[in-house]
Amino acid sequence: MRELSGVMADVGKVRIRIPTSIKAGDVVRVRTLVIHPMERVERDKQGRIVPKNYHYITRVVATYRGKTVMAIDTTQGVSENPTFTFAFRATEPGQLRVTFHDTHGGMYEGTADVRFS
Amino acid sequence: MTRRTLLRLLGMLGLAGTSGTLVSPQGAEAQQLGAHEDVQDGLKRLFGSRPLKDGAGAIKLDVAAIAENGALVPLTVEVGAPMAASGYVKHVYIVADRNRIPIIARATLIPESGQALVGATVRLGETGDVRAIAELSDGTLLQVKREVKVTISGCGS
Repeated sequence: MRELSGVMADVGKVRIRIPTSIKAGDVVRVRTLVIHPMERVERDKQGRIVPKNYHYITRVVATYRGKTVMAIDTTQGVSENPTFTFAFRATEPGQLRVTFHDTHGGMYEGTADVRFS
Repeated sequence: MTRRTLLRLLGMLGLAGTSGTLVSPQGAEAQQLGAHEDVQDGLKRLFGSRPLKDGAGAIKLDVAAIAENGALVPLTVEVGAPMAASGYVKHVYIVADRNRIPIIARATLIPESGQALVGATVRLGETGDVRAIAELSDGTLLQVKREVKVTISGCGS
């Protein structure tokens, strides 16, 4: 149980990885990870779905310089501690922000600074 | 059962879907994305009777042919279509035919996305086809399928 609560404490931890060298106009590939249980549907012995408010991410939104460049609607078919990949065109230096929304009202986000080399 | 009561029921089960705050896709947005359904019903729910054309020339679906662990299957979809205001890839859908909730994810893109690239780690319940469907801004639907053999089920919902 202690281990489990330790894992729970990390829920919502977000990591974003972008290339170290970006030039103006590049299409940048982003990998982002969030620590999240993404609870699966449980069934009882009769095979009926156990009704409860399953805890999973339903939406991932990526904004660059304040504009949404990509959004993903997700279901319980996405893995625990999921990784997402997407791209955006870097036109100017600025901030990339990724926000995760879940079924329990949780909102988690991470940011990365886009700088040109 | 009317659609409304069905949705309310699903909401009670905690299956309520999208919170639809921005870049709202048309039609499908009004409904929740994931549901316990047959894949054909799911596709019909999302796309109606619109044809799914063969997208082999445009879509690259990168997923292992054998997934040792169905609980964590990395998957990437790349659509080789231009991302211009005049025409772009608007949505990318990830679908697993044999999952109990077959519609796994829907990405919404804009021309500024620069490239139609969407990757996610998904769950696969059992061996079966995985589909990537691209919806272009003119409404064209393209799809590719790849069979993935699942060694250990991810109880993929």
